[in-house]
Amino acid sequence: MLTRTFTRGGASIPHRKSATENKPIVSMPAPEEVVIPLQQHIGAICEPIVKVGDQVKIGQKIGESKQYISAPIHASVSGQVTAIKDIQLVDGRQVPGVVITNDGQDDFYNRENNHINKLSAEQIREVVKEAGIVGMGGAGFPAYVKLTPPKPIDTVLINGAECEPYLTCDHRLMLEFGPELIDGLKTIMQAVGASKGVIGVEVNKPDAIALLRKLTKEEPEIEIVSLKVRYPQGAEKQLIMAALNRQVPSGCLPAEVGCVVNNVHTAIAISQAINEGTPSYQRVVTVAGRHVPDPRNVLVRIGTPISKLIDFCGGIIQQPAAIVAGGPMTGTIFSNLEAPVVKNLSGVLLLGQEEINLSMNNPCIRCAKCVDACPMGLVPNMLALSGEHSKVEELKRLSVMDCIECGLCSYVCPAYRDLYGEIKKGKNAVNSKEAAV
Amino acid sequence: METQYVKSPLIRTNVTISRIMWDVVIALVPTLIAGIVFFGIPALWVVFLSTVTAVLCEALILRYPLYNKGIFGDGSSIVTGLILGLILPPTVSWWMPIVGSIFAIALVKLAFGGLGYNIFNPAIAARTILLLGFTAHMVIYTAPFDVVTTATPLLRPLSFDWSFIWGNYGGSIGETSVIAILLGGIYLLYRGHIDWRIPTGYVGTAFLFAVLWGIDPWATITTGGLLFAAVFMATDMVTSPVTPMGRLIFGIGCGFLTIFLRQFTAFPEGVSFAVLVMNAIVPILDKMTLPIKFGAEVSLERRTRTTITVAVIILLSWGALALVSNFTPEYRPVVAEGVYLPLEETLQTADYEKVDYKGTTFYYVGELDKPERVAFTSDSRGYHGPIHFYVVVDAEGVIEHIQILSHRDDPGLGSLVTRESFLGQFIGKSPEDEISLGVDVQGITGATISSNAVIRGVREGLENYVSAFLTEEEKTTFADGTYIGEVSSFGGNLQVEVVVSGGKISQVKVLKHNDTPGIADQALELIPKSIVANNSTDVDTITYATVTSKAIMKAVEKALATDANDVIEVTGAPLEVPTVDGIYQGTGTGYKEGLEVEVTVEGGKIVDITVVSHNDTPLMANVAFKQLIPAIIETQGLVDAYTSATASSEGLFAAIEDAFTKEAK
Repeated sequence: MLTRTFTRGGASIPHRKSATENKPIVSMPAPEEVVIPLQQHIGAICEPIVKVGDQVKIGQKIGESKQYISAPIHASVSGQVTAIKDIQLVDGRQVPGVVITNDGQDDFYNRENNHINKLSAEQIREVVKEAGIVGMGGAGFPAYVKLTPPKPIDTVLINGAECEPYLTCDHRLMLEFGPELIDGLKTIMQAVGASKGVIGVEVNKPDAIALLRKLTKEEPEIEIVSLKVRYPQGAEKQLIMAALNRQVPSGCLPAEVGCVVNNVHTAIAISQAINEGTPSYQRVVTVAGRHVPDPRNVLVRIGTPISKLIDFCGGIIQQPAAIVAGGPMTGTIFSNLEAPVVKNLSGVLLLGQEEINLSMNNPCIRCAKCVDACPMGLVPNMLALSGEHSKVEELKRLSVMDCIECGLCSYVCPAYRDLYGEIKKGKNAVNSKEAAV
Repeated sequence: METQYVKSPLIRTNVTISRIMWDVVIALVPTLIAGIVFFGIPALWVVFLSTVTAVLCEALILRYPLYNKGIFGDGSSIVTGLILGLILPPTVSWWMPIVGSIFAIALVKLAFGGLGYNIFNPAIAARTILLLGFTAHMVIYTAPFDVVTTATPLLRPLSFDWSFIWGNYGGSIGETSVIAILLGGIYLLYRGHIDWRIPTGYVGTAFLFAVLWGIDPWATITTGGLLFAAVFMATDMVTSPVTPMGRLIFGIGCGFLTIFLRQFTAFPEGVSFAVLVMNAIVPILDKMTLPIKFGAEVSLERRTRTTITVAVIILLSWGALALVSNFTPEYRPVVAEGVYLPLEETLQTADYEKVDYKGTTFYYVGELDKPERVAFTSDSRGYHGPIHFYVVVDAEGVIEHIQILSHRDDPGLGSLVTRESFLGQFIGKSPEDEISLGVDVQGITGATISSNAVIRGVREGLENYVSAFLTEEEKTTFADGTYIGEVSSFGGNLQVEVVVSGGKISQVKVLKHNDTPGIADQALELIPKSIVANNSTDVDTITYATVTSKAIMKAVEKALATDANDVIEVTGAPLEVPTVDGIYQGTGTGYKEGLEVEVTVEGGKIVDITVVSHNDTPLMANVAFKQLIPAIIETQGLVDAYTSATASSEGLFAAIEDAFTKEAK
């Protein structure tokens, strides 16, 4: 099979997907109580539009913001609002949240069925905006903003690379929600006026590639591109390079080269929002790792405490060495298991000691493996050194803001240095300095 | 105990620092094996000492590896020790690798902050310190298997030579075998621990500049530690740039500097200094060669400007170099493949000439006929292998300077012959002195064989010198005339015509031959010229055309021996031939003592004369005897001496006369 990949940097990393990739998605019953944060996206925090004591139904809007870059929040269960309070997310941030006690009725609020043929691009954007759909691959960028490109778009790219180890939710979604995915892609194409749709899938998911090819046999405008397994292929710029052979200029958005990229899950959510009128109130999360008794992909309500999600997969039997939200490369390590599932949480990993490597501060031996691996053509060892000391000028000279935070530099480092952490620190230093000016 | 953190990414490569270091150790194994095969146990001993010292030194200074990471720590000290051992000559004294490793670890590496912080490659820096501090001990290179007499590969006209590929020649332990080095390099490339840019840039540039400066390019890259440095030392991660372009420039710089230093300085260590200089500019290389990041637009204008700038810089440096090489007086590289002959120091002038005579290279000051000072190398067999000397004599042949270039005898007793107290005894000795053990030279107790070898070598060296410079009559002169000689060669008979005028061979012409065209051409062209130039039939053969070369020499020899017109005349001095039949034995002194003849007398007539043994120059004496003996038998009397070998002729006559004074056997 002819496969494509990006040309600069990158590395092969272990997949570790076998525990969950062949198991169907399981729907988890709604918990007794959900805690829904009012910010699950990049952008402004939503204002609550319900009061304590209000009765809400599934899909009822409970928070919204007047800011352009934001996404409304919806109730994920039917029941009573019992509290509006600050809650802690997996990354440690405190944001206001709405606590809803489930009445077990699972009543839906005002579902509207539609079809893209009947909708204009503007109407699609409006539906997507109202459905509160954000980038579900991890970024959490409001989807309707992406559907409003500043430049002409010819191609819509669906990111089915899923290059992070352990995570298989996109893989399972492609297999089980193939028609919805294709429909979602067509919806996005219509919204941005693109004539071509491309789904990029790494070849370690041959069943998904085969299925999608079968589904799009009659659709000449949609191409399924098989990609060589290589990290970080799921990163936007690398995916565009790999699938379309276009290089997004430094500091620019994909629209610069005429394309938009959306995650598999996002496309499916858009399709469901249009066709079924369901807003973003649930998602599929991969629960995996050595310390998960029953690893699988779970369809879970937004706001479900992560502890309940873990219990659904067999609970914590042995204390894991690390609990991760997201993938092991870029995910967040957390300990507060009461933090809720949010729209951009793709995985919960309970990793054993033997599965992880600890970061160490062995001396840099200047092996340049990070330089060779960096997909952005940066010099991570020098960046990390400047980041450690917050040398803003030097960091800028070394193009720190081009870093896509894929974590590959740390992965390949034979000294197990925390390059990723130091570079992020450097980015923060540059950001705060620029904010101060 | 270092701090550990739970941080993403939580999965890490299994290629850790120690894994890299052990990979380098694995890559060095072939060179170590080649070193042991070609140089024997002493090589293993050197590498063992340097490695053990490096490991212990680091463990003791850092202390914590002793209980935390084990004595090997991250493995980097083993790599340093191994590499240092491999770049030392196998003949160094036992303390050299130890001192070198301590320098490398303590001074060059740990004093700068340990692994990752050192500016210079520890092994190269240590070797340079040893070289500068203990020059005499470092420039002893030995020839393995005794295949090469004086290991001077770069002085010989050579090209691609398989012995350099296998590594079967003199040099440092790990640096000689191209095959072994390439094996290691391929492994490191496969493991991703070295960047192809450094070795390729290094070797490629060296090759290019060797071609441009008229140095044998194949010899340049296959000998003298260049390849080892390109694969194992210039690629040292800590001391080379991290950016791809930086690494390419680094490699090119190393290659250029190596050839530049070899060409324009008298130092044997072009490689070491080149790598050290490039090590020093690594930070700036890194800074100036940041890779073009993903998505950075490179405008055509900028690309053009960069290309033009680079082209201008190259052209300017080219011009500067051309000027330098034009105005620099032609410098004879006295250094060849690490064999450092201190010619300038000992001859006390840089104005010397070189002449080859019977396989020995003489460096002389003044006129060839009356040299003020002569330097030459000589060798003889010691206890374990050849001992190579370097001797300088004055106009009268009195030894002024003597040093041992290499020997393979025991580092303990055998190496005592290198001591001043022993060698000093030779100073002031001349060819007239006896120079023998216990008579005028005292040997070293416990190293009699080594002592004797040195004495024998000095004596033979002096004899060579005498025959080359002092003995006018023994110097090759021939009777004028034209000679024809024919021998069988590779493809059939080979015939030469030799013209002698003024006592010297003035022209050699190959009249006919049937040797393979192409292969023999070079020999057919060069050997006659070489014979004329050397006025001798004993000249260097041409590689790949040895048979033809030798055939031409033999034919000339034969020609000179056969038809020596007007040489022999009956002098009318009849011999008093004894009346008793039998074989008479007599001795005489030709150019040297010990000319023995057997004269067979039958019926009062000489019927046969056999020269049983003689110590004269074989070629000339044998020609003389061949000419004289038939004449003596023919005339039953003495004849005129053979003009080119008067002493030998006189010796023959004296021996015959001596024989007739004795009883027949």
